[in-house]
Amino acid sequence: MNPEIIRSLQELLPQIQGYIYPNEIEIHWGLLIVVYPYITGVVAGAFILASLVKVFNVKEVQPLYRLSLLTALAYLLVAPMALVSHLGHPGRFYEILLTPQTSSAMAMFGFVYAWYLMAVLLLEIWFVHRTDMIDMAENSTGATRLLYRALSLFSKDKGERAVAFDHKALKVITIVGIPSAFLLHGYVGFIFGSIKANPWWSSVLIPIVFLFSAIVSGIALVVLLYMIITPLTGGKINMKCVDKAVDFLFYAVIVDFSLEMVDFIHRVYQSEEEIKILSEMVMSKLFLSLIIVQVLLGMLVPLLLISLTKIFKKRFSLNEDMRKMVYFISVILIQFGIFATRWNVVIGGQMFSKSFRGLTTYKMEFGGIEGLLYAIVLLALPIAILFVLMKVLPPWKELREEGETGTEALGGAGM
Amino acid sequence: MGKLFERFPDPLARLIVVVVAMVALGAFAYFVLIPKPVKDIEFQWADAVKTEKARPVRYAGFQVCEECHGEIHNTKKTGYHKDLSCETCHGPAKAHSENPDKVKPNIPTARTFCPQCHAYNPSRPRGFPQINPVAHNPLKPCSSCHNPHDPKPPTTPKECSACHGEIARMKAVSHHVQLECTTCHQAPQQHKVSPRSVKPTKPQAREFCGKCHGKDATDKLAKNAPKVDLGEHGEKYVCWQCHYPHSPEVEQ
Repeated sequence: MNPEIIRSLQELLPQIQGYIYPNEIEIHWGLLIVVYPYITGVVAGAFILASLVKVFNVKEVQPLYRLSLLTALAYLLVAPMALVSHLGHPGRFYEILLTPQTSSAMAMFGFVYAWYLMAVLLLEIWFVHRTDMIDMAENSTGATRLLYRALSLFSKDKGERAVAFDHKALKVITIVGIPSAFLLHGYVGFIFGSIKANPWWSSVLIPIVFLFSAIVSGIALVVLLYMIITPLTGGKINMKCVDKAVDFLFYAVIVDFSLEMVDFIHRVYQSEEEIKILSEMVMSKLFLSLIIVQVLLGMLVPLLLISLTKIFKKRFSLNEDMRKMVYFISVILIQFGIFATRWNVVIGGQMFSKSFRGLTTYKMEFGGIEGLLYAIVLLALPIAILFVLMKVLPPWKELREEGETGTEALGGAGM
Repeated sequence: MGKLFERFPDPLARLIVVVVAMVALGAFAYFVLIPKPVKDIEFQWADAVKTEKARPVRYAGFQVCEECHGEIHNTKKTGYHKDLSCETCHGPAKAHSENPDKVKPNIPTARTFCPQCHAYNPSRPRGFPQINPVAHNPLKPCSSCHNPHDPKPPTTPKECSACHGEIARMKAVSHHVQLECTTCHQAPQQHKVSPRSVKPTKPQAREFCGKCHGKDATDKLAKNAPKVDLGEHGEKYVCWQCHYPHSPEVEQ
């Protein structure tokens, strides 16, 4: 091998096990591609949580409605950044829309994304906040007034007919939005699932597993944000709402866990030629991220914790702080677990050689466009965007709708 | 809003205006601003094709080699290396095919070359010939024992290796790999029936080894063998009393 290449790979080469093909030494889909499905997952999950209110009429989670929508939007705006940054020519990303290849799943994603952003999320958020924006335009002056007027498309109509139309439109958009959210994240799983040359990914269950893990991560994140933001802004956490959201989270985790187990049992029972190298990979390279973080800490421990609050319902219902702490720990663990799921799919799928005889290794950089620092920035960016969105379109109205103290007094006061 | 829009609820009318404006803007950008050729996929690929076409052709292909080196081709086509193209080992040969006298292709003789495929690696397929380049005849170019165009691993006769497997394996990686067992030992037929009572012969004279290792040795096989002056070198002993012949330790 070229000595220059050996020099550049000298940190990786000693960590390689068995026989791998030369082009497999370096892993090409790195941390950014891990971040990407995590973010789109949050988008889909947060939207599904929002749709519980509008479509399935789950009144208890009403306080989370606007927050979920804004979270979905904040994360959706960042989602393509990971992909575009990973491209060799990020400046040419728009070409995918100019000369679309209909046979390319990646190209079609551009349209799914645009549809979801423009026709679902922005529209729904606009309808939700329309009357509020008119109010805010009326109650403010100068640039703020102009901003809200522009955002409300210069509408001043708060009449019965217009408001009734808002409600009707919201229902229709949410109903259209559910399959769109499924499409947005199902597509990510579809891309992985259709790479038939890679047995770690090639499974029809992958899109469905992705979808349920998306729902899990989205609900968990919105609950986490709610539990952090509400006390910070002087509100009181509405435990009825959190209880209900965690209920849904609990069922989603069970379905997600069952699907992953079905996939796992199916692989083991089928025992195709790759099973040896995959089991070796799981037991060595992915042991920490798959067995410990994803399964144990990310699924079993939260399931156990939430189960405890259900089994010892009386004791927990008396002690609200204890329940809050259990939920808080659970949703944080779930976030780590889902991130580990993405990691294990993306990195795991590239760690074993096509020869089925060796394992390569992933060396994460710190700086640079594929590095840890940039990934952290991408993960933090949606929070910053959410902060701005919440300033412009305060979700307080429903965040505190059934809260106990200072509901209306604080409404619109900002953070 | 015009009269037409009064029939719609206010929010819908405003959205319709926005959507129509966006569609019009998009259509204007797509149909007017972007030149037609840019939208053509072939146009986008044209540069890539041009770049690829401009790259110099360096490989000739094995059919070209066959035209002049028919004999080697015939040897190779039935051997273990039949699936390797000539240029796999000899490198790009387009220049050589165009100017055979001036440009000569590379002939890899370095001991690092063959182990790229044949060095021992536990994950290589079973049955694939593998050696340990450190222990396997060090310092000798691979082609001195193996014909690269028709590589056949040197073998010990089965009737010997059946009982003397350890010796056979040792000899297989020694300098004496090319020698048949019967070069040094005469084994009577009876040895196979009663191996303990009828033993094969061993060389009894120093001159036997001297045929290859003597100062004036002319044997063809001895071309690269280390030479000694038999008159001065351990004159009291038969060679194998000091040197183990199945794995001679002397290096050149």
